[in-house]
Amino acid sequence: MDLILSSAGSYPRIGDAPDLQRHRRAYAQRERGEISAGEFTKVENEVVAGVIREQIEAGMEVVTDGLVRWYDPYSHFCRGLEGATIDGLLRLFDTNVYFRQPVVKGPIRRKAAIIVPEYEFARSVSTRPVKPVLTGPYTLSRGSILEGGYRSTHELALAYAEVLAGEVRELSRAGAELIQIDEPAIIGHPEDLNVLEAALAAAGRERGAARLLLHLSFGDVAPLYRDLQALPVDALGLDFTYSPKLPALIADLGSAKPLALGLIDARNTKLETKESVFPVLDAVLPALKTGPTYLTPSCGLEFLPRARARLKLETLKRLRDGYLGGHR
Amino acid sequence: MSRQKLKRLGVELPLLPTSTVGSFPKTPELAEARAKYARKQITRAELEALEKKATEFWIRAQEEIGLDVLVDGEQYRGDMVAYFAELMGGFQTGGLVRSYGNRYYHKPVVVGEVKWPGPMTVEWWRWTQSLTRKPVKGMLTGPYTVMDWSFNDYYRDRRSACLALARQLRKEVEALIEAGAKIIQIDEPAISVRQEELPFAIEALHLTVDGLPAYFITHACYGAFETIYPDMLDLPVDNLDLAISNSALDLLKIFEKDPFTKDLSLGVLDVHSHSIETPAEIKARVMRGVRVLPPERVWVDPDCGLKTRTVEESRGKLAAMLTAVRELRTELA
Ligand SMILES: [Zn+2]
Repeated sequence: MDLILSSAGSYPRIGDAPDLQRHRRAYAQRERGEISAGEFTKVENEVVAGVIREQIEAGMEVVTDGLVRWYDPYSHFCRGLEGATIDGLLRLFDTNVYFRQPVVKGPIRRKAAIIVPEYEFARSVSTRPVKPVLTGPYTLSRGSILEGGYRSTHELALAYAEVLAGEVRELSRAGAELIQIDEPAIIGHPEDLNVLEAALAAAGRERGAARLLLHLSFGDVAPLYRDLQALPVDALGLDFTYSPKLPALIADLGSAKPLALGLIDARNTKLETKESVFPVLDAVLPALKTGPTYLTPSCGLEFLPRARARLKLETLKRLRDGYLGGHR
Repeated sequence: MSRQKLKRLGVELPLLPTSTVGSFPKTPELAEARAKYARKQITRAELEALEKKATEFWIRAQEEIGLDVLVDGEQYRGDMVAYFAELMGGFQTGGLVRSYGNRYYHKPVVVGEVKWPGPMTVEWWRWTQSLTRKPVKGMLTGPYTVMDWSFNDYYRDRRSACLALARQLRKEVEALIEAGAKIIQIDEPAISVRQEELPFAIEALHLTVDGLPAYFITHACYGAFETIYPDMLDLPVDNLDLAISNSALDLLKIFEKDPFTKDLSLGVLDVHSHSIETPAEIKARVMRGVRVLPPERVWVDPDCGLKTRTVEESRGKLAAMLTAVRELRTELA
């Protein structure tokens, strides 16, 4: 069986060593007006290239650009929209990270491609396939303040889906084979699964040959697992760290969709061991009816210090190789 | 009931006691000194002298404004978790992680058995209390929040780390009580982030406070009510401090269904806003609580620490709060 190693989203943009602090310094210089937007983009490009190199060195077979250019998973999308502005800080789910809340005041429309140019750059500096990441329409809607243009967060989710459909179409044309859509907000709102379903169908309508991977994190996905199988996406990425019952559930129900198994805790520094990971693989893998299967961190790695993020990916590779090599 | 407890402890407070959540802005002089200290341009002793001066400034300010239960203002603390993590055994300073934009911080890591290193806040409390006849609250961060805002390399799981911290923080509470503290606030701003973990957060606080003779307050930040009421009533404290300034919560409706069983500190000042509330606005917010609970059980304070406001904004907001409360005391008497 193939087990493909992949990142699940963000990667720390700075490290503790002085030579890894370039992004932070350049950001501050940009804020003070000491360097131009072009100069800052150049630094961002170098950091993206470094982050991709680090993932590949750690053994990842599918990489991301580390979401290095994102202020946060919400405002990054809404800065490029007509009809939306950006408001104050709010806590990102149960993390200690804050995002700026979008405020929707009227019909939203994409002014220009948001993720496509970032994807194209990342691909140009990567020797491995790059997986672009989009914040999903339902989650964007849930995190937005709605002041006009739509009557409900449900309507707004469908409007965001139209915006994202354009991104998906262009990413697919640009060569993306796998596109990750993050929808953490659905975990707290299972009553909205029908909204999520409609929004994902719209967002993925023109995906062409690209496959959509729906990624869920920041909560227990086990209660939703059965319903996720019916969603109009091609693969499911699951955070295992909140769900002690998930392995048994998958073993029991199986999966008609390929899975990305988020077994490595991207929120805590403690390193996983074969004692913690192999039993889960033993339970889950026989129940998967179709591949490929991905092994990933539970979510983006930006919650960890840079050195530890790298160590987590190296651990993932060591565990995968050990498992396939039968070193029990 | 809790009034009787306060009386037994020898604390007499007026109707609608006023207090603050803990932190005040660093005075400009101290902020400058902290930057200099970070650049190694002044000594630890020089910094500490200015921390004391700033603390005294805030004690005088609280007395002038007329607050009933005072705080030391946390002039000597940076982050509310890192302060304890840097002092306790079992922690290491972690690598940099981003909190938003270009802001990074060193998140502590639990690398061994956590251990109380001896009193961490007691000397400051004792010194601050010596400056005033008003009661000064003992202030510490609760076990659940210290656990949640740290990495855990050592304990089997989050619950084990939390309970171990709770046993060690109990020693700090005991030391504060031995020094004479009668009112102790244990902050748990993280308590509502994972509802499924509330049971062990409550278990932890039991380990920290059970059987100890003090009036305990827990501050939880904005959003706690919506997510963990009424289960949060099981927290073993006398007073829950909740932000209502920014929310349109219908307390009456909530309390009709599940009666509020503790004293309630109403956070009526919006600490994230520069503008100073009018006494009329504040009175309306206090009345939302007084309509549903006997006034004897209601305290009044800002909705969180004031450290992000300026000195002048903080004074202005608190003065307006006291004006409102004095009027209400007359009207309700
Ligand atoms: Zn607070």
